[in-house]
Amino acid sequence: MKIAVCLKQILDPEVPARDFKVDAAKREAEQGGANLVTNIFCENALETALQIRDAAGSGEIVALSVGPAGAEDVLRKALALRADQAVLVVNDADTNPDPLFVAKTLAAAIKKIGGVDVVMVGREAGDWGAGQTGGLLAEELAIPCISFAEGFEPGATPGTIKVKRQTDAGFEVIEAPTPLVLTITNHDKNVPRIPKTRDVMQSYRKPLEKWTLSDLGVDGSTSHAYSQVAELFIPKKETKCEFIEGDTVEAKIDALAKRIGDILRAM
Amino acid sequence: MNDPQNATREVLWNIHHAWIMYALLVPTMAVCAWGFYRRIQLWRKGRAEVRFDRPAERVKLVLKYAVLQLRTWRRSYPGVFHAMIFWGFVTLFIATVVVLIDYDFGIPIMRGRFYLYFQSLFVDILGAAAIVGTLMAAFRRIVLRPKYLVYNTESKIILLAILAMLVTGFLIEGWRIAATDDPWGAWSPVGKVVANVSKPLMSHEALLISHRVGWWTHLALVFAFIAWAPFSKMAHVLNSSLNVYTGRLEPVGASLKKLDFEKDEKLGVSALADFTWKDLLDFDACTECGRCTAVCPANRVGKILSPRDIILDLQHRMRAPDADFAASYIGSTEALSPEAMWECTTCAACMQACPVLIEQMPKIVDTRRFLVMEDAEFPETMQQALNSLETRGHPMRGTSFNRVDWTQGLKISTMAEAKDAEVLLWVGCGGALVERNQNVVRSLAQLLEKAGVSFAILGREEKCTGDPARRIGNEFLFETLAQDNIATLDRYGVKKIVTSCPHCFNTLGNEYPQWGGKYEVYHHSEFLAKLVADGKLSGDMPSSQKVTFHDPCYLGRHNGIYDAPRQLVQIATGAAPIEMEQNRSNGFCCGGGGGMSFIDEPPNQRVNQERARQALETDADVVAVGCPFCMTMLEDGINARKGDRDVKVMDIAELLWQSVEEKTSGATS
Ligand code: SF4
Ligand code: SF4
Repeated sequence: MKIAVCLKQILDPEVPARDFKVDAAKREAEQGGANLVTNIFCENALETALQIRDAAGSGEIVALSVGPAGAEDVLRKALALRADQAVLVVNDADTNPDPLFVAKTLAAAIKKIGGVDVVMVGREAGDWGAGQTGGLLAEELAIPCISFAEGFEPGATPGTIKVKRQTDAGFEVIEAPTPLVLTITNHDKNVPRIPKTRDVMQSYRKPLEKWTLSDLGVDGSTSHAYSQVAELFIPKKETKCEFIEGDTVEAKIDALAKRIGDILRAM
Repeated sequence: MNDPQNATREVLWNIHHAWIMYALLVPTMAVCAWGFYRRIQLWRKGRAEVRFDRPAERVKLVLKYAVLQLRTWRRSYPGVFHAMIFWGFVTLFIATVVVLIDYDFGIPIMRGRFYLYFQSLFVDILGAAAIVGTLMAAFRRIVLRPKYLVYNTESKIILLAILAMLVTGFLIEGWRIAATDDPWGAWSPVGKVVANVSKPLMSHEALLISHRVGWWTHLALVFAFIAWAPFSKMAHVLNSSLNVYTGRLEPVGASLKKLDFEKDEKLGVSALADFTWKDLLDFDACTECGRCTAVCPANRVGKILSPRDIILDLQHRMRAPDADFAASYIGSTEALSPEAMWECTTCAACMQACPVLIEQMPKIVDTRRFLVMEDAEFPETMQQALNSLETRGHPMRGTSFNRVDWTQGLKISTMAEAKDAEVLLWVGCGGALVERNQNVVRSLAQLLEKAGVSFAILGREEKCTGDPARRIGNEFLFETLAQDNIATLDRYGVKKIVTSCPHCFNTLGNEYPQWGGKYEVYHHSEFLAKLVADGKLSGDMPSSQKVTFHDPCYLGRHNGIYDAPRQLVQIATGAAPIEMEQNRSNGFCCGGGGGMSFIDEPPNQRVNQERARQALETDADVVAVGCPFCMTMLEDGINARKGDRDVKVMDIAELLWQSVEEKTSGATS
């Protein structure tokens, strides 16, 4: 079984509040002193893939990312966790392309990799939280998608897998033919493991393929054809305190009710 | 005829076929030598380590810890009896050598006053002392039964054998005095008592026969003991002395080994073969005294960690006839289980307590290195701390602060802004990112400013020194952080560093030199004490606050600094701190070192609670600390236990700043 795990590099969501700044003109978060990390749900996806490979005793994991050259870091980490292959589609031009563009790029890369049975993505990214890439990717690849999956086991018949997915009410278990896309959610069994130091050291010596957009025939100018950020700002938090005047309790209640009405109307 | 000038006794009186003794001596010594040789062969299986350099300093170690046995005295009861037995046997050994010189070499020294004062009186008294010491030891083992001892048959046999050797010695002396009517008998008081008791009860014939039988019995006991020694706990007489000679010359804070990531085939230690020869010698040198486990904070609060059993279990493993040096010991016994390894705070109380300078803690860290770097199996919360260290350069997951938030409202330059600053204030993660400690660094910065010190900080360029990574066992991450920091420090040409964190202090001062980072590093207690001594700061506001001081392990035991923080308390409050029941080198850990502040301890086994109990017992109003980790741990512990009492935990810098400020406002009002 060949599993492709898509990994996104994002701004550390644990950046101290005071350090979080946005560039209103570019409509992007500023990196400032913050670090770049692997999106946690993508790490959950990789952990799930590793567990499936461990349990099966065989299989191949391809770690795949689209991003600037620096996104190599997330792939090195994946190699340190013993992903078999790593591919970075370098897109330095736009650090925040829209989900459809990402899905198209990933789809082209997955086709080029070839023979992928299951594609795993995180259910959403910790930066924008759009949660769309998985579905769009399935669409682009013209294969089914199961969202909020915890993981899978081999199905009853060859060429199928049994996927457990979370729903609002509980769980569903779906048996589906491969190839397909799973968006992986976190649960108590897919907390990302940490690599062995020996593997970390060796991860720098492992091959890492880098493809450009044009290698894949993707048109970089379409990176915002699907959606655009109209405006980006950090909302100001304001607290005001007002005293309601009135001579009697009834008068105060009336004044308060009127004031609440005013505020609601203003909103 | 009774001229003391002529006093002596006949050697080998009443003994025929003395040649048998000489004949037996050869196999006895051969077995003994073979026993020790086998031990040496075992140690040689370990990896290389330099421990025979600087002989002059090593001889000093031997004088202090093997001859004077300074560490043994730290517990008075066993200290006393061990000294009685030890000096008793040393004296008896010298007396035997005197006989050898006199009789076998024919140099007449066992004569006259020397014979009376030393060979008779002194030897008798010391021999008697050895008997008393042996009985005290037996009393402890049989009646007092402290929990930290190892109770086995071997220990009992040893005490019995020692007692039998001493008693038979006195019996034959007494019977000789009685049978020969020795005119100098009274100079051997114990022998004389035996003589006086035996004489009316025994015929001359009986005395002769008893003496002869007693003499051979005594000889057999002594020879058997010598031959058996290297195979028993008694091997410590030589092993421990050698262990002391090859002991550590650097401070405890520099006791972790550097790894070679290019060459080492295995990272960390999981089998006997991974240890150095000195580690293996450590196992063999253990006297089973149990002092290390008795002082271990983790053990004290009921955890399974026992440094004594780590050493002894590895010793048994090593001595087993079919010892497999390549097999992993991890998990082979409870003491060697991963759970135990993850309970150590690296406080080094064990190392400080060990009378024969065994280094228990580094072996725990060696094992952790294996668990972390080769197995990647360790507590999840520690993993998170290390993850954060790797991605963010600090272990404080979830902090809402950055490295310079604490400077708000103060004018503090960074090295980038003030390149000619003389002193670097190393803030540390605990100082910058944990809210409670921000006031400590603020106080320290204001004190430095007040004293006119030219200083700056690294600000966002500072990264964790790597201490938690190193203690948790991720040496690779530690090295990366160390190299990054050294590059930054060297870029600014930093020479002098002051820090309020003993862990940073230890790592910067004791560990970075191994990676080429050499700086003059001060803990703020020393630095501030010096500023006061130089007249640049003065506090000295008599205060009614009663203060106790908690010694941080990485300042005290790891670096031997005990006085500076106490001086500061004195300066700040006008009175010396009240001491807790455990203080200075015997201080009790706060529970936060060795990465343990990143672990949630079981509620009934919290080290900080035990320390808080000791602090509260002093009735102090303020528990003074000198470490950001101690601050957090003790505040938690005190708050949990203080009830409605008003007890505060404060750093010494806060105390001093408070007093300096009061003095200033007092002077102006
Ligand atoms: S270093 Fe401290 S916690 Fe660790 S074994 Fe020694 S005494 Fe116990
Ligand atoms: S290691 Fe040292 S302190 Fe611990 S039992 Fe052995 S000799 Fe005693």
